[in-house]
Amino acid sequence: MPTDIKLRAEIRRFDPTVDAQPRYETYEVAGQDNWRVLDVIRSIYQHQAGDLAYQFACRAGRCGTCGVKVNGVPVLACQERCKPEMRIEPLTPFPVLRDLVVDRSEVEARYEQHALTPQRATAYAGGPEAIEPRLAEELCHMGSCLACMVCVSGCPAVAERAFDGPAFMLKLRHMAKHPADTGARLAQAVDAGMLECFGCDLCTQLCPADLSPAQAIREFRREMIFGKDARHE
Amino acid sequence: MSNAVLPRNTTRQAEAMLYGAAARRLHQVSGAVIIVFVLVHMIVQAVKHVPMFASAKAAAPWLQALQEQNWVHAILFFCIVFHTFHGLKLLAGELGYSLHYKTAFWAIAGVSALFGLREVLRYAGI
Amino acid sequence: MSRTEVFAEQTDVLIAGSGAAGMRAAIAAHDAGAKVVLLAKGPRRANHTRMSGGRYNAVSGLNPDDSTDAFFQDTLESGVGINNYPLARILADEAMDRAYDLESYGLAWDRTGIRKYYMSMTGGGTFVRTLGSVDEGIGITEVMLHQLHQRGIWICDFHMLADVVQDDNGRVVGGLALDLAKGVWRYFSAGAVVIATGGASQLYETSSGPAINTGDGIAIALRAGAELVDIEFMQFIPISFVYPPSARGYTLTEPAHYGMRHFDPKAEAAHLVNNQGERFVLKHDPVRREGSTRDVLARAIMLEILEGRGTPEGGVLMLPDPQVFDAFLKERPIYVKRLLENYGEGQARLQEPIQVMPSALYTLGGVRIDPWCRCSVQGLIVGGEAAGGVHGANRLGGSSMSDIQVFGRRAGIAAAEDAREYAGAGASQLEKARARAAVLEACFGRSDGVRPPEVKQRIQKLMWDHVGIVRSGPKLTETLAAFRNVREHVLPTVKVTNKSRVLNREWMEALELENLLDIGEAMAASSLQRQETRGAHYRTDFPATDPEWTANLIVRREAGQLRVDKKAIVTLDPAPAAREKIGAAA
Repeated sequence: MPTDIKLRAEIRRFDPTVDAQPRYETYEVAGQDNWRVLDVIRSIYQHQAGDLAYQFACRAGRCGTCGVKVNGVPVLACQERCKPEMRIEPLTPFPVLRDLVVDRSEVEARYEQHALTPQRATAYAGGPEAIEPRLAEELCHMGSCLACMVCVSGCPAVAERAFDGPAFMLKLRHMAKHPADTGARLAQAVDAGMLECFGCDLCTQLCPADLSPAQAIREFRREMIFGKDARHE
Repeated sequence: MSNAVLPRNTTRQAEAMLYGAAARRLHQVSGAVIIVFVLVHMIVQAVKHVPMFASAKAAAPWLQALQEQNWVHAILFFCIVFHTFHGLKLLAGELGYSLHYKTAFWAIAGVSALFGLREVLRYAGI
Repeated sequence: MSRTEVFAEQTDVLIAGSGAAGMRAAIAAHDAGAKVVLLAKGPRRANHTRMSGGRYNAVSGLNPDDSTDAFFQDTLESGVGINNYPLARILADEAMDRAYDLESYGLAWDRTGIRKYYMSMTGGGTFVRTLGSVDEGIGITEVMLHQLHQRGIWICDFHMLADVVQDDNGRVVGGLALDLAKGVWRYFSAGAVVIATGGASQLYETSSGPAINTGDGIAIALRAGAELVDIEFMQFIPISFVYPPSARGYTLTEPAHYGMRHFDPKAEAAHLVNNQGERFVLKHDPVRREGSTRDVLARAIMLEILEGRGTPEGGVLMLPDPQVFDAFLKERPIYVKRLLENYGEGQARLQEPIQVMPSALYTLGGVRIDPWCRCSVQGLIVGGEAAGGVHGANRLGGSSMSDIQVFGRRAGIAAAEDAREYAGAGASQLEKARARAAVLEACFGRSDGVRPPEVKQRIQKLMWDHVGIVRSGPKLTETLAAFRNVREHVLPTVKVTNKSRVLNREWMEALELENLLDIGEAMAASSLQRQETRGAHYRTDFPATDPEWTANLIVRREAGQLRVDKKAIVTLDPAPAAREKIGAAA
């Protein structure tokens, strides 16, 4: 059975249409030790700050829309366990709409630009499509990327260089591996700043879906040097 | 009973050490240490051996002593080993090879620490 | 008071809902030549499809014992005979083609061979036919989103459809949306409006759906004069997480998946036991046992809990079969991860008992539609969970994924056609939109009153306790009275403490309240009328299934009052051409 605990949450409040600068407001919450950060935020909205702006939907780690920074680390609010002291901030480096909600238009624009549908040489001939079972499984693993932007938020190369971000590299690699895709995915990745990657694997560590954008980048790099016949991981 | 590896439990991400960030920071710092060392070493050797700088040598006896501190050596060796191995890990990554970030960090930091420790022991006569 | 500002936009087809039904409609309407705008209530990936395990019922031809007839029969049997037969037939016939569409979009169905899909069993089905992919609903929504990007379809995030606007003849000519991100109103005049806003799972205290599924589209359709069918039927998933609070109610798929029955229709599903260790399901379905349909299982579990034989946390125990762990891990790694994170390693390895409870999952009823998703209101098209009739009294696991593809496409085709044929000017109704918007701002002007979350909780508790898995006449009557009270005395006092218009959650919830109440009332009223037990509808005062009630209840608003009428079920017309609307494209 869970135990009752006292939690303190410091939340960054900012309304760009009204405020000159952000401020931090502290809330004391009576919670339980198995709560997630989202439970804390919802409790604050329910009982203390009816004007708090936050985003969530599925609360089960699937929609990927509840990303926030907790104590400086980008996480999914619905997945991250609560802590006695929490500083909760919106996901950087995205523009803030209000409080903890960010504007994802740029993200969608980048996804659109990368044309992430299989670029077929010949029209789909009807199924079933010939795909090796193991490859199908790999494609599905990459297909479980939530587009939550936690990796992009945690990536030092995104912060310091002209790099779209790990999530986009992963989706490009997903397409590159699809047997029906003929797109120039490596070239697209390089254009999107792939070579700026520091190889630090922070994206791998932070990914809530257990994926490795850094590994996708390594595979692209290998392809760059050794060509497309290089063995798949 | 199956021994298959379970997926990770990613509910304590904000409590964990960020290995990639730590490794990167250490790589930057160790790189800086190496550069500083090389510069200092050049200066010290010049002061020691070049007759033109004899007056500087007399005025700063601590320059010679600096290089012979065991902790300076320990830090230096740690940095050289860490910077080298981590750099090799990054190069391998660019060729498509990967090592798990946690294993790599502790293995490389561990080996580097051993080299650092070796210096301390050497100075202590062990 | 100044005039409410409303920005005017124009499109051919306006679609509300970013789940698979809405997205499939967008693809179909665009490909039929229409200009499409899609409204997503929040970020576009926040929808019910996303949360689905992605099991997809279809007849692929890979199981020689199976056929579309068998799938059709399974659907009718699960629906206890009150399905709309033509819709169920269409589902069985078109599901596989839509699965191939998803494959063409880039979805990699799980395989055992290079052209051999992997199939599994589902609760209540007769043959192994269910397809799936490891990326589940996430994979499906992602490949579809990229199809929308490829077509350049305009997607508006944070746009909540607040109402539709009708001309003097009652034809829908546009949609009024609240841009939650900016706090401004947008009126989209359109030749056709597609409602694909999902179900009303949020009516219940414990639910499996996303926070945004407050039945907005169904309520809007009802208010516009559309008929609802089977609205008394709400499907409860028998097993869902009990804790932590954020995960409570989230589906754990079916007991069939935790035992050998996952592969073999004759094998055992995971056993369910109460706090005495008894397999209580045997009392309810001694033949299929834990491999029974969702309605039987949910009822069995709920009764155990209500009668005090549940766990201290409020659930029962599922005893999985560790033998299936390797297959389960390979097929559903995301579920294994959640089991690990919410419960522990023993549970994740299927070696220890898993605590489960029922939860509101799927709105079986909805807007009454014809085979092309048209309803009784012109210009209004409805597809997906928001529509009713396909599944009857209980849905087969895996049939929603195929339903939303099949009927999403049909909705898009019909919408494009209706938009093409419509010669009127929706823009002329801007003033009606403005008037409606002004009404929907009333909560800003109140300083005394009650906050929306409190009212929502009140409604959710009433629904869970009295219009949920266990119903009775007196409690339903009591609930209707309580709802009347909320409508007359509480709703008019709803206030918002947040004066910012930007991302005002209280404001959004205030708008949702009217929708929740409309559907809650419709559900309670039709549940009261249906004096029998069938599928997901269980009356303690009428526990038997009554053949007289092999009929549908149609709910409509007439002069502000709810009308509930009993109608004969729609079976297959002997002349198939006659059952389709004239002019419908293939």
